[in-house]
Amino acid sequence: MIAWYTTNAVVLQATMTTLLLALSIQLPLRMGVFSFAGVGCFGIGGYTAAILYAKFDVDTWTAVALGTLLAGLLCYLLGLIIHKLSGLYLGMATVAFTLIIAVVATNGGSLTGGASGIFGALGGITNLHVFLLLALVIVGLAISEYGRFGRRIDTVREDPELASALGINVARYRKLVFLASGLIGGLAGAVTTLLRSTITPAEINFHMVVMALTVIIIGGSSSWLGALIGAIVITWLPTVLGFVADWEAIIYGFLVALAAIFLPSGVLGLAKNLIHRWRTRRGTAPDAATTPGGEPGAPEPERSLASTQGGTL
Amino acid sequence: MQELLNTVTLGSIYLLFALGMALAWSTIGILNFAHGAIFVFAAFSAHFISEQVALPMPVLILISILVGAVLSALTQWLAFEQILKRSTNHRSAELRVLIGGIGVAAIPIAIVDKATASAPFGFSNSTYKTEVYEFLGLRMTNTSLIVIVTGVGIAVALTLWLRASRQGLGLRAIGVDSETASLMGVNRTAMAIGTMAIAGGLAGLAGSLQVFQLQAMGVGTGDQLLIKAFAMIVLGGLGSMAGVILGAFALAGAETLIFAANLGTWVDAVSFGLIFIVLLLRPQGIFGRQEVRRT
Repeated sequence: MIAWYTTNAVVLQATMTTLLLALSIQLPLRMGVFSFAGVGCFGIGGYTAAILYAKFDVDTWTAVALGTLLAGLLCYLLGLIIHKLSGLYLGMATVAFTLIIAVVATNGGSLTGGASGIFGALGGITNLHVFLLLALVIVGLAISEYGRFGRRIDTVREDPELASALGINVARYRKLVFLASGLIGGLAGAVTTLLRSTITPAEINFHMVVMALTVIIIGGSSSWLGALIGAIVITWLPTVLGFVADWEAIIYGFLVALAAIFLPSGVLGLAKNLIHRWRTRRGTAPDAATTPGGEPGAPEPERSLASTQGGTL
Repeated sequence: MQELLNTVTLGSIYLLFALGMALAWSTIGILNFAHGAIFVFAAFSAHFISEQVALPMPVLILISILVGAVLSALTQWLAFEQILKRSTNHRSAELRVLIGGIGVAAIPIAIVDKATASAPFGFSNSTYKTEVYEFLGLRMTNTSLIVIVTGVGIAVALTLWLRASRQGLGLRAIGVDSETASLMGVNRTAMAIGTMAIAGGLAGLAGSLQVFQLQAMGVGTGDQLLIKAFAMIVLGGLGSMAGVILGAFALAGAETLIFAANLGTWVDAVSFGLIFIVLLLRPQGIFGRQEVRRT
């Protein structure tokens, strides 16, 4: 186990940082906000942390915290401005935001190191730290997926008019999701940068948007578990299959296109569907004959609700 | 004056690229994210063939147009049509088309990247020779003359075709209400594939002209141009071809001014900033009549 860990520590680390970035894009998507601002926030968080750590001798965790907060703040301000835009327009505005961050970083002079970026910002972060931070973020997201709060978020996504008729302040939800997405994206950027010790403007480009989107689309956009599945597939596939590394971009392109056509709810949605089907088949067969303990009979209405929810997305 | 000439040349290439995107988006409602990749791949195909045999300019341009049209029609048929068939509501279809486009775009870009080892490519083996004319102190190449004439000519022709012809009427009808249009006898699927083929052909044309104009093209050009085209369409107003023409030349003018002021590294910020300002102040664009749907 320990031998396995030491050989794969780098890949594990990449899985965790990729997952953090993907989560920052997935959260707004879950609320029906098509925002890529998380990638821009990755840049803000990464640059802030690297500048503070390398040029102003701030210690690691203060730098990470400040980077995260600044990214969250700027993303929230962005949200205040653009939260009313719909669908594609909002998506493109956030892509523009992300690319402006890269242009600003290129033109930042000695502060941001211009086109070659910042080097030598190796902070004191270990894989355990990343794991704990990730667990914290995931617990927060998991809370937002269950119970009343989870259903509210689902309503805001599926039918904003219905949501506001039910007394949910849709605009507030949409604005706050920018804050949360910015914080997670900023954290991802700060942690990744101080782990790898460098950040360049070329990283904050369209390719990163595509990568984060690939993770979410392959795994499934409805839950953090989907992002985890996607992050594992994306980071481990090249290590397991040698030829994948050569043709990485082509294979991911195919996967994203196929997922968009055939699996809109990702691998997670497929798995949920299969489990649901298997359960109902097993549940109905003994249900007709003998019902031991009355267990399969009771959750019937809940199941049918789950199946309609799975069908709409 | 020289700046004005450069603006018109640059704007004409932008225009050809953005016209195809605007045509597909405003009529059949598909924002094709693979448009930039088609642009690059079509130009690369012409480059690849020109490496084998020395060909004159019109043949290379024709190859690009054909490759672009076929690629775009295939994307529509194999990806977007399938997505539209399988999705229940308009909003989720829009997002899935966007994501599907991003996925499709990655494939040709990766092929070009691998084949060229990320180095810019050009038509160095073509029989075409650039000539420079001097006129009243203005320097102008025959390439930029061709670019301007093609760009403006096609833009005007497409605008008139969309306004006056029967197919144009059918296309615009799909843009307003595709269900009613198909009841009135418009074959939506065939129209959609045809429109995407035209859009792809325009992307291919823009691609080969850009290579002739700038001598070389990098793999990343497509993505940048995609965002710029979006800015132009939004600035002019979705649904208005005149708006696209205005948007293309306005953006080209702004970028030429930035270059003239020696602020070259900021040039990309212009289009991105423009997207922001227009979306905030006048989301329907300058010539747009219909409100952007808000939630």
